[in-house]
Amino acid sequence: MSLRLKEIARTGGLQLVCIVISVGFFALPLIYLALQAFKTNNEFLNNPTGLPHPWTFSNFSDAWSEGDFSNEMVNSLLYAIIPDIITLILGVFLAFPISRGWFRHSNVLYGFFVFSGFLPAGLIPLFIEAQKIGTYNSRIGYLIMTSLTGAGFFFFVGYIKTIPREMDEAAALDGCGYIRYIFTMIVPQMKPALATFGIFGFVAGWNNLILPLVMLNDQSLWPVTRGLFSFFGQYSSQWPLVAAATIIVALPILVVFAILQRNLVEGVAGGAAAGSGGVAVAQPVENNE
Amino acid sequence: MSTIPFGTRRTRRWLPWASIAVPTIGWLVFGLFPSVSTVFFSFTEYSGFPGTPLHFCGMCNYSNAFNSSWSDFSSSVVVTLKYVAGVTILQIAIGLGLALLLRHRRKGFGLYRALIFMPQVFSVTIVGVLFSLVFDPQNGPAEPMYHGLFGSTSAFLGDQNWALWLVIMINVWMFSGYTMLVYIAALRRIPPELYEAASLDGAGRFRTFRHITWPLLANATTVNVFLTAMGCVGEFALIRVLTDGHYGTKTLGMYMFDTAFGVNPSLGYGSMLAVAQFLITLVIGSALLFFLRRREVTL
Repeated sequence: MSLRLKEIARTGGLQLVCIVISVGFFALPLIYLALQAFKTNNEFLNNPTGLPHPWTFSNFSDAWSEGDFSNEMVNSLLYAIIPDIITLILGVFLAFPISRGWFRHSNVLYGFFVFSGFLPAGLIPLFIEAQKIGTYNSRIGYLIMTSLTGAGFFFFVGYIKTIPREMDEAAALDGCGYIRYIFTMIVPQMKPALATFGIFGFVAGWNNLILPLVMLNDQSLWPVTRGLFSFFGQYSSQWPLVAAATIIVALPILVVFAILQRNLVEGVAGGAAAGSGGVAVAQPVENNE
Repeated sequence: MSTIPFGTRRTRRWLPWASIAVPTIGWLVFGLFPSVSTVFFSFTEYSGFPGTPLHFCGMCNYSNAFNSSWSDFSSSVVVTLKYVAGVTILQIAIGLGLALLLRHRRKGFGLYRALIFMPQVFSVTIVGVLFSLVFDPQNGPAEPMYHGLFGSTSAFLGDQNWALWLVIMINVWMFSGYTMLVYIAALRRIPPELYEAASLDGAGRFRTFRHITWPLLANATTVNVFLTAMGCVGEFALIRVLTDGHYGTKTLGMYMFDTAFGVNPSLGYGSMLAVAQFLITLVIGSALLFFLRRREVTL
């Protein structure tokens, strides 16, 4: 075999291996689930592993109405977007003075925030607290609790340090106020960091199952993740219906992923995701760069 | 400490404090306070139902764990350790393999990487339902495959011997894309001259990997091992959907959730389990950092 042919065969083989792994192992389960959603229940029982024949679409409308997903979609959007935006803004307001060292012991405060990330998860006391102060089983309460967690703050501190102090001073001399300065100068400079954390925050907020499970009792307050969990328990014998519901719940996040996958993938590669996963890791990942 | 250029002479003193006030108070109320009071509640007896009393009972929950509830407690610790070890080892191996395969910028590779990364953007609910279908003992696609391979049937997620390993594999399936990306970022930082020098010296693939790639990935391995292990010590959301902690999958986190929010809630004992989980995380985390850092130096 000539060298050229050998090379073609080699790249072809490599491509084939990659396709088998990425599509076969990582995408196929989801495609398989999607296929089941187009079968009637009888057809699924007779032919569970084959292709749908004929293709039926009624499962989607049935699941949509029976699972109350229209209401839950709105809840999910609220729970994902509002805390995400508030967290980002508060994170900048917290990180800016700390990274500039504008008050006594700002390093101590920073260290304290970092340290608190290692403490035990306070899910049980948070549940008790929520019942006492009235944030339990309430849409506003849930939004308040998820908006005030300060995710991304550690990464922001490092990021703001790269913005020169001289800019602060020049702006202040020109009579620019503090809040205006943050929104018109700091926030635009932090766009890449904010975008990364915004995307991760949205995905995390949308996907959260445990907090809605603990904090939201009424079905009218549930997000789709919580709704699907109950739907699955209720209709577990009707796989096509459950599959349709799962696709309905997965679709919005799949669209977000398809549009923003480059940012997400780069966010991880750049180590920006570290802050959203755990505080401890922010340091070593940053060192890698 | 430097002085803030913004504001008048009067506002200058409290302006930075005002800036951090809301997030700091939020963090105190919904972050630090619940976290620290977990320790307080671990010394109490409390069902959590409105109107029921809270008894301070000293070490009762701790002594229960080592006496009447010892079998539940010890088995959940063992399951947690198996879970952490299984997920970490598998995910590092698979993540590294995928990174070596897909590190280059070639046609289609961006799509393959995105597909491998994709599972983790889905909620545990979606992943849980998805694999409940795949491993459905009656109508799932895994059933005929298993039957073909072993000639017998299995309840999969309802099987005492299989459930924990399946949950581990599903967890790895969900997050190995992350490990892969961290490794790819590190692989791309290795200077290509090193590989040229190695190939001039006649080093084969395996020796190049053993003596160049693997040592230079030490930092990324530290990050990946630490992140993976710390991320799954407290895992229970995925387990909640897949098996609800039955069939030998009750990790400490799942045990805690069950105790605190199950049928017969005991928030005091649950808090004790959260503290126990914290201690285990602390021990595993510091041991890992110690050994991984030392390894980085010696490699």
